[in-house]
Amino acid sequence: MKLAQHYNRVNLVTSLIVLGLTGVIYYAFIHFILSKQLDKDLLIEEDEIREYVQTYGKLPLPGDFRDQKVHYIIVPAGRPHERRFEDVEYRNDKEDEIEPGRSLETVIKVGDKFYEVTISKSKVESEDLIRVIFLITLLVTAVLLISLIVINRFVLGRLWKPFHSTLNEMKAFNLADMRELSPAQTHIDEFRELNTAAATMASRVKEDYKELKSFTDNASHEMMTPLAVINSKLDTLLQTESFSDKQGVVIEDIYIAVGRLSRLNQSLLLLARMENSLIDDFGEIELYSQLEQKIRQFQELIELNGLTVTFAGEVKSIRASKYLLDILLNNLIGNAIRHNHPGGTVMIGLNNGGLAITNTGSSQGLDPSIIFKRFSKADTSEGMGLGLALSRQIAVYHGYALEYRFQDEKHVFSISF
Amino acid sequence: MKLLLVEDETGLAESIIGYFSEDGTVCELAGDYGSGSEKICMYDYDCILLDLSLPGGDGLRLLEELKRMDKQEGVLIISARNSLDDRLKGLNLGADDYLTKPFHLSELKARVIAIVRRKQFGGSNRVIFNEIAADLLAMNVTVKGVKITLTRKEFDLLVYLVANQGKVVSKNAIAEHLWGDEMDLSDRFDFIYTHIKNLRKKLVEAGAKDYLKSMYGVGYKFGSEE
Repeated sequence: MKLAQHYNRVNLVTSLIVLGLTGVIYYAFIHFILSKQLDKDLLIEEDEIREYVQTYGKLPLPGDFRDQKVHYIIVPAGRPHERRFEDVEYRNDKEDEIEPGRSLETVIKVGDKFYEVTISKSKVESEDLIRVIFLITLLVTAVLLISLIVINRFVLGRLWKPFHSTLNEMKAFNLADMRELSPAQTHIDEFRELNTAAATMASRVKEDYKELKSFTDNASHEMMTPLAVINSKLDTLLQTESFSDKQGVVIEDIYIAVGRLSRLNQSLLLLARMENSLIDDFGEIELYSQLEQKIRQFQELIELNGLTVTFAGEVKSIRASKYLLDILLNNLIGNAIRHNHPGGTVMIGLNNGGLAITNTGSSQGLDPSIIFKRFSKADTSEGMGLGLALSRQIAVYHGYALEYRFQDEKHVFSISF
Repeated sequence: MKLLLVEDETGLAESIIGYFSEDGTVCELAGDYGSGSEKICMYDYDCILLDLSLPGGDGLRLLEELKRMDKQEGVLIISARNSLDDRLKGLNLGADDYLTKPFHLSELKARVIAIVRRKQFGGSNRVIFNEIAADLLAMNVTVKGVKITLTRKEFDLLVYLVANQGKVVSKNAIAEHLWGDEMDLSDRFDFIYTHIKNLRKKLVEAGAKDYLKSMYGVGYKFGSEE
């Protein structure tokens, strides 16, 4: 929900409740005051009748004038003299209508007779008054609400404009391009503060990014250079003297160790670069032909292990980094071939939703919770335990999921796009 | 062949110069940006081996300078910077190849020779070693004028060994040249043995001398022994 919408809703609900309550209280008070006024009028009327009785010793004529009726009934003596106010229906003979009314019943003694006197008055005027007041209140409420909505819609929309423009700037913000953040000018303090904060953050992030990038570069350089020296010195050493086969084995071991070290270093740097999203050579890649090519590439190894490789799939284009995809496929297909038994099978299936590589191998399933961790590896594996960690990272980098399951005595690695 | 090596790491520079100069190649060294720039200005080379991280400046700027002067030298970038944008930037600026450190000297030499060949003979794509001739475009090999059939890998191997004639080339270097990163080291040595055996057999059967020798179990040497 948008902020303005949310605010409007709260605002409207509160206004409605407050105005409604005001209306009720208003109504109750006016009603109460007018009733009191009416009762006072009725009492004055009673006093007048009593005075009349005292003066003339008889009741005035029962009458019906000015929305007021007086009415007598003879009652037996001994009835309690109680004054009672009551809401009644008042019959307006002039207009031939039933109106709400208020009556006062009291007992007056004339001579030795007791009369129950009922004085009733129409309440229609006070009711009219209340209605008018109520209507005015309603009208004010409606006008208030409409103006609130209008203000919210038009004024708030304009007020928030700088915010939205800043937001769009931030959405379009890209670390790789060197453009600075340039939010719209505004005279509202909060937005100005936001703009400053966003700009500061952006430049700090850029600074960090640059630092990180140069750190990665430096780390790579610093580690690779000594390795290059070792490698070149070994190559030079090889040219100098004649060695015995025993020395040859030693030199070869050094070669292999240096090779592993540089690959390890490269893998770690690749992981770091991916974590910092520094690889962006994305492009359209047709996966089917890519896989065919990979299988051809591994042909020697496949033949050596006497494996049967089947590949079924459809043409599928994905947007991916060619460089990373290459590493991913090398790892997965290489593993499927390497961790297989002689005469085993590798099945590669590609469809629109994903890629699955299924291979025979050890009869024990692997633990899916640890195989993707860095430096975790099976006892029999000769690798460094980075291949699958790297593969998963590559999958995640592209927004894919890489999963492992052991099914029908086969190892399945599947990528869902 | 006259080369310029722009590299600040003395240990590496010494090895490279040593490896190249044995067969009469002149290899000059520039240890920083300034002397590199000076040498590029003053002399002509067949190929420049250019490191990117140099004291005094970025190697890529040297490359720009070179292209501004409209010089025709081949440029091989040797850098520890393995990021894609550096590679692309280098190649876009007109470098002929990009080799990431650490590398094998034999790989470096093979690449330099390939660059120089492309530049010098303007399209001549023949590699000749005594009675053996390889056509790089048609990918065929003749021994004393008779064509022999080699697989793709055997062909690559032959060209690689000829480029490094007289040197001991380690199995690691061969493996990396033929397969790159896609295979683990342990997978590869058996294949190298097979390929070497087949290549040697084919060459000898076609009447070539046996130029290929296994050296101490570490590598191989291609060359006519005196």
